[in-house]
Amino acid sequence: MRPQDKYRIALLSAYALALHAFESLIPMPIPWLRVGLANIITITTFILFGFRSAMMVTLVRVIIASLFSGSFLGPGFILSMGGGLSSILAMGFMLSLVPRLFGPVGLSLIGALSHNLSQLLLAYLLFIQKIEPVLLITPFLLLIGTITGTVNGLAADLLIKGLKNSQQRIQNSR
Amino acid sequence: MSLRQTISSTTLGDRILLVFLLLASFAGIVFIKDVLPSSGGVSIEVQGKTTHRYLLNQNRTVRVESPYGHLTVEIRERKVRVINASCQNKLCEHQGWVTRGVIICLPARISVSVGGPEKSGDKRIDATTG
Amino acid sequence: MVLMDTLVTITIVTDSADRAEKAMDKAFAEIGKLDTLLNFFSEKSELSMVNKNAGLSEVKVSPETMEVVEKAIETSEKTGGAFDVTIGPEISQWNFVLKIKPQDESIKRRLRLVNYKLIQLDKGRSTVHLKEKGMLMDLGGIAKGYAADKAVDELKKIGITSGLVAVAGEVKAFGRKPGGKGWTVGIRNPRSTEKSDEIMATVQLNDAAISTSGDYQRYFILDGKRFHHILDPETGYPAQGCQSVSVIARDGVYTDAFSTGVFVLGPKKGIELLQSMGFEGLIVDKDGTIYTTPGLKGKIEFTTNH
Repeated sequence: MRPQDKYRIALLSAYALALHAFESLIPMPIPWLRVGLANIITITTFILFGFRSAMMVTLVRVIIASLFSGSFLGPGFILSMGGGLSSILAMGFMLSLVPRLFGPVGLSLIGALSHNLSQLLLAYLLFIQKIEPVLLITPFLLLIGTITGTVNGLAADLLIKGLKNSQQRIQNSR
Repeated sequence: MSLRQTISSTTLGDRILLVFLLLASFAGIVFIKDVLPSSGGVSIEVQGKTTHRYLLNQNRTVRVESPYGHLTVEIRERKVRVINASCQNKLCEHQGWVTRGVIICLPARISVSVGGPEKSGDKRIDATTG
Repeated sequence: MVLMDTLVTITIVTDSADRAEKAMDKAFAEIGKLDTLLNFFSEKSELSMVNKNAGLSEVKVSPETMEVVEKAIETSEKTGGAFDVTIGPEISQWNFVLKIKPQDESIKRRLRLVNYKLIQLDKGRSTVHLKEKGMLMDLGGIAKGYAADKAVDELKKIGITSGLVAVAGEVKAFGRKPGGKGWTVGIRNPRSTEKSDEIMATVQLNDAAISTSGDYQRYFILDGKRFHHILDPETGYPAQGCQSVSVIARDGVYTDAFSTGVFVLGPKKGIELLQSMGFEGLIVDKDGTIYTTPGLKGKIEFTTNH
């Protein structure tokens, strides 16, 4: 990996972490209902710089966030990791299968969907053996995931356009 | 960004997926409303096994322990909440008072299920045979 | 209250606390009296007197004892011998607490003593005579139901119009609860493992009794095989066809005896017999399949996973 890639990944991860931290400071009535703003960075990275970079950013973000919050290797960590990994994998899979079909919004939806579903699955398998509460919560999570996925996707789209614009300007001014 | 601009930045695939997911989740929610736990009471599970069962109509405070942590369940005026949880993120506590559904403390592997409205008297058993 | 080696619960509806107390006392007293007459394990009971004199002489008995033995024989006839109170010599060899199973040879040897036809009754003299030496009558499969009946009779005599008597799992209910509803009785799930799974169905009892015989009430497991207390009078071994049988009829003496007899007969013959007797019933066979008499529809409600 070239040094500028590493640099880029570090920078993106930092942004992702910042967004994650910022988000967790916002008081919410329902605590585990997060918009997942860090995913905006993940999606942008994915589209602009590819699968590998996005994977790195996700890993770095999840690990460092859990180190900071002291929940490294705890149940929360496992769920975040599971969700993050599966969303990247799902997005990558979709992109390689049907490259033109989805834009940032669609990708974000796919990512959010697999993130939530795999977290549910992990929680059921590892922590809550009763299928009832898990099944009960699924439709709500689905709805929330759809909404936040859309929002994140649109934001990522904005970000990408903005970055392309500024790159354009830089190139033009050379 | 205007609405038109927003829509134009989505592809057809995006839109179809979005509509599908919205419909699926609404369908799920409607379905779920009929299937909520209905045993009329509070059920506390530790590591998947039911350890306590209480009726909603009696106020009480119960301390629940598991090898992974502890918390206190408070039942008052037909509502349930979790306090004094040993977990880090206290998500279970933040749920506040619940009349239906499940409060789960993941780290402690404890879950508190609150059943639907108690069915009218005829589910109450006067005697048991067997 | 603990009577007949088990928990007896009496619930009544009345507007007079005074009458309630008197009624409870009378009902419990009646059950106590029956216990002294019919208890297999008590040396002084009439039953023990009869057993001690097996093959020797007839023994004079009270009308209650006579009634129980008569109804026991009647049930034996109707069930073709599947219910047989002379099972004493066989069942006394088993110990379900210490997990003691008798030798096959010993079981075979005593089978000849198990035969209700060897009970001789003289109604004129009020006597019971067991023909062969070594015979033992065990009224455990019918006495509790009978006691519930008699207790309810006492309650009614005092003027109670609605109540429920439960002698262990033998339940008899009469009248209705305030609000007009019938008494609700839960039927235990023969294979429940946790509290939430305990009751598999509930029935509404309107002036009726219910009894349940199950392979989970007294049993032990040896080498992966379950040995329970409901022996087949023909073989001396635990009957194999069912996990539990619940019978609903007007009288507890019959529900108690028939639930045992039907258990031995098995699901198909059992349901047929119940129908021909005009009783209702629910059978869980050895694989967990549930059979019910047609008349049970509308009176029974199954809990979620059954």
